[in-house]
Amino acid sequence: MFLRMIRGTLLRQWKKMLMIAFTIALGASLASAMLSVMLDVGDKMNQELKTYGANITVVPKASSVLNDLYDVEGDTSGTYLREDELGKIKTIFWAFNIVDYAPFVSTQADLPDGSEVKLTGSWFNHHMELPTGETLDAGICSMRSWWEITDGTWLDEQTMTEEHSAMIGAALAERLGIHAGDTLHVDGTEAALDLHIVGVYDAGGDEDEQIYAPLHTTQTLAGLDGKIDSIEVSALTTPDNELAERAAKDPSSLTVSQYEIWYCTAYASSICYQIQEVITDSVAAPVRQVADSEGAILEKTQLLMILITILSLIGAALGICNLVTASVMERSSEIGLMKAIGAQNGAVSGLVLTEIFLTAIFGGVLGFFAGFGFAQIIGHTVFGSAISLKPMVIPITAVLVVLVTLAGSIPAIRMLLRLRPAEVLHGGH
Amino acid sequence: MSLLELRNIYKIYGDLHALDDVSLTVEKGEWVSIMGPSGSGKSTMMNIIGCMDKPTKGEVLLDGVNIAKESAKNLTGIRRDKIGLIFQQFHLVNYLTAVENVMLAQYYHSMPDEKEALEALDRVGLADRAKHLPSQLSGGEQQRVCVARALINYPEIILADEPTGNLDEANEEIVVDLFHKLHNEGTTLIVVTHDPEVAEVAQRTLVLRNGKLHKEVINQNFTGKIQFEDRQEVQPHA
Amino acid sequence: MKRSSMYLRMITASLMRRRSRMLVALLSIAIGATILSGLVTVYYDVPRQMGAQFRSYGANLIMTGTDGAFTTEDMAKGLAAVPADALVGAAPFRYENVRIHEHPVVAAGTDMAGAMATNPFWRVEGEWCSSDGQLLVGKQIAESFRLKTGETLTLSYTPENTEAAEDVTLDLTITGILDTGGSEEEYVYLSLHDLETLTGEAGTLDVCELSVQAQAEELKQYAGQISNAAPGISAHLVKRVTASETTVLSKLQALVLLVTVVVLALTMICVATTMTAVVTERRKEIGLRKAIGASDKSIITEFMGESMLLGGLGGILGAGLGFVFAQQVSLRVFSSDIRFQWLIVPVTIAVCIIVTGLSSVLPIRSATEVDPALVLKGE
Repeated sequence: MFLRMIRGTLLRQWKKMLMIAFTIALGASLASAMLSVMLDVGDKMNQELKTYGANITVVPKASSVLNDLYDVEGDTSGTYLREDELGKIKTIFWAFNIVDYAPFVSTQADLPDGSEVKLTGSWFNHHMELPTGETLDAGICSMRSWWEITDGTWLDEQTMTEEHSAMIGAALAERLGIHAGDTLHVDGTEAALDLHIVGVYDAGGDEDEQIYAPLHTTQTLAGLDGKIDSIEVSALTTPDNELAERAAKDPSSLTVSQYEIWYCTAYASSICYQIQEVITDSVAAPVRQVADSEGAILEKTQLLMILITILSLIGAALGICNLVTASVMERSSEIGLMKAIGAQNGAVSGLVLTEIFLTAIFGGVLGFFAGFGFAQIIGHTVFGSAISLKPMVIPITAVLVVLVTLAGSIPAIRMLLRLRPAEVLHGGH
Repeated sequence: MSLLELRNIYKIYGDLHALDDVSLTVEKGEWVSIMGPSGSGKSTMMNIIGCMDKPTKGEVLLDGVNIAKESAKNLTGIRRDKIGLIFQQFHLVNYLTAVENVMLAQYYHSMPDEKEALEALDRVGLADRAKHLPSQLSGGEQQRVCVARALINYPEIILADEPTGNLDEANEEIVVDLFHKLHNEGTTLIVVTHDPEVAEVAQRTLVLRNGKLHKEVINQNFTGKIQFEDRQEVQPHA
Repeated sequence: MKRSSMYLRMITASLMRRRSRMLVALLSIAIGATILSGLVTVYYDVPRQMGAQFRSYGANLIMTGTDGAFTTEDMAKGLAAVPADALVGAAPFRYENVRIHEHPVVAAGTDMAGAMATNPFWRVEGEWCSSDGQLLVGKQIAESFRLKTGETLTLSYTPENTEAAEDVTLDLTITGILDTGGSEEEYVYLSLHDLETLTGEAGTLDVCELSVQAQAEELKQYAGQISNAAPGISAHLVKRVTASETTVLSKLQALVLLVTVVVLALTMICVATTMTAVVTERRKEIGLRKAIGASDKSIITEFMGESMLLGGLGGILGAGLGFVFAQQVSLRVFSSDIRFQWLIVPVTIAVCIIVTGLSSVLPIRSATEVDPALVLKGE
């Protein structure tokens, strides 16, 4: 009989029930959309922040200190990293978090007009087949996303026709009067080559006075086969905390369990540590400018999304509560009648609650999928990629729907039970 | 010319003849009761007289106007100007005070006038309850507010649908007394009821059965007061 | 008594005496309005607030001399061209080759406070230099020369333009080791004044780094203003920082916008369903009003008036709560006050009135179409 009554309500009052289901679906979709976006926003923003370039640099342990921008000695002697070890970076514990990396080797070369230029060799879009079966196109095409190509195109290693191609900085190109498609003769320390200029870039920095060529070309010019100066790594990292900072100074100061935690968390310092483990005689260090800022921005973004999510969840909860209360109150006469014909309070509340819950489950499931759909729309529109479904969204949404439905219906039911049946039936409004 | 004339009206819902060839004439100032068991068609008739429904066939002349042919919009206007309604369930707006409920009818009719509304409440003996909300009034008091609301716009006809259905005897008498007072002032009263005592007070009682006019009883010794002789308590036999 | 005053009396009576029901509706509208005004405020303020966070990436504008070095006066003129409230920090740098224990090293003279403000990502083990006579040593230099904080280091400089063979030396106390993960680790930093003392040459600079809170377009404008104000200087954007900031900020703003749109749409539907329920509940009353002679038009006017008044009240309440929310977000996330767009208040109120009005008009219309006799008889 109980079931029959419930079926009766659901079938006969389907319009009202549909309205409740609809509201619950709205609330649930809001909850699941916002939770999905909130839980995934960290990863998504992290990907976006990769436009700032590498957040970890790897250099040889005994690299010469004074060899940089201001061109102190032009001394490139010292030890190098080994090119054949590059692939190992994608085999570390946090390999999955390494989104991009590129090796660098630089040398000085003489130009036909007698001036000296810094020539850097690197990967542009180096194609890698990983042992895991994945493929990765790594290199400066993606790691120097802020470079503006003013003439020609990016150098494409995979379809390169000329044996020795290169890209040239805008300032240097202007000085030499060189355009894309021209050939430039450079005289390196060990060999001389004719470089086919594929593109001119404007980097807004010192690179504008330099030439970038594929790794092999530069190695040939400088006689540094198989050797590289440094590696820039772009990794998805977790913002540093106190543990990470302590570990960065000295991993051996940690207890075994702290070490485990640190090693198995994607802190910049633990990824550095793991890179050092696979690259011989190397020192990997986080680029503070990128790594620290990333942490700050990620934290703020996540906090922002959490607060927005909380607001919308409160909004959704109150909205559902409201409507459930209103719709239970509407049934005062029916409940009065049931009491008049002898139904116990428990039976009446049981019936109403069961109905509301069946409706809520229906609406909640519908809303959950709708909300996940909304999340996908947001993901694709903003980040151009899907929002991954975090399993914890399901229980949170479910608990929320249940709590809100209970909170909405119980006070209304209690109020209705307090009414005397005669009052309700006798049309007193 | 009669105030209200029903000429051979039919109201047909599918196979059901709710009203089947009913004719009726009510003169100005008359007090008429319409009686009948449930399903006899009295509600349908009341709705038609009250301009809330139209007959399937036949003519309804109110003040010489055939309301069966009027549009729903015009019917609202006619109802507002000529008819005062009293309901079994009172139907007061629960968030307006007694006087405001009366003023509501004035508002839709012409101009709200609080003084006049208070006078109307005074006439039904509720001057001191004017500021009360319906929930603070007893059933009888609510019905008296309803009467005040019905008469505020000086309607041609006061149409009461089971006005005493929800009232105890004491309040029933108060309401019937009010009707008597209105009758003496020349108001036309049509009271739909299934309570013989209330019906028999009227000058004329029409009895409906199965949608047809079953019989018409003229009250020979009309006083306008409830006759309580039938209600003498029966002494239980020892 | 006028009709209009009775109209007002009825509407206020409906709102005041049906308090609990109306509160429910008001609450729902206020939630909608809160979300509207709160999220829109946050949306508008995100670029500014987040822009401030992005300043942790360091300088985004660089001033260099049009031909080689430029003077401190040029720098002052250039800085004056940038609005003071947008300027987060400015750090002048002058680089000279000096020697430590006869090894060549690049020494950078700078304004320490400016460098700290411009490069928030610089980590110093020990202390920042707070006065002249102090030295900040790059981590790699410190490792190569095994330097520690607290030690005194002698910098020697060979004057280029003088005949004197004598080196000039200066003793400085190391207050901190600089860790940046970048090329800065290969320099030593001292105050501009000390460097001028060491070289005997004052008033020239190599470069000045600026951290300006502005988007790329605005920055370009500032760069133009600087170049105009001081002909000795050319200012250009640090592409890596500005281009990336534009990319990331626009994504972030798009994210907040979309989230706002989705949340708003859902909340407004919620408000609409609540209003529909509130009106549907009163079908009987509408029937009664019709029975006692109310025209459809006057019923619609009354109920719409009531709904819209409710919408307006909810809008005002929500606009206020939304501001509180936005302010909380701003304080908690960015630790700064929100900049409130006052236009949002009237817009919120207007949207609330429109949404409640629209969501009530349909159920009111359908209620007026119902036969009053049926409504009054039913149940």
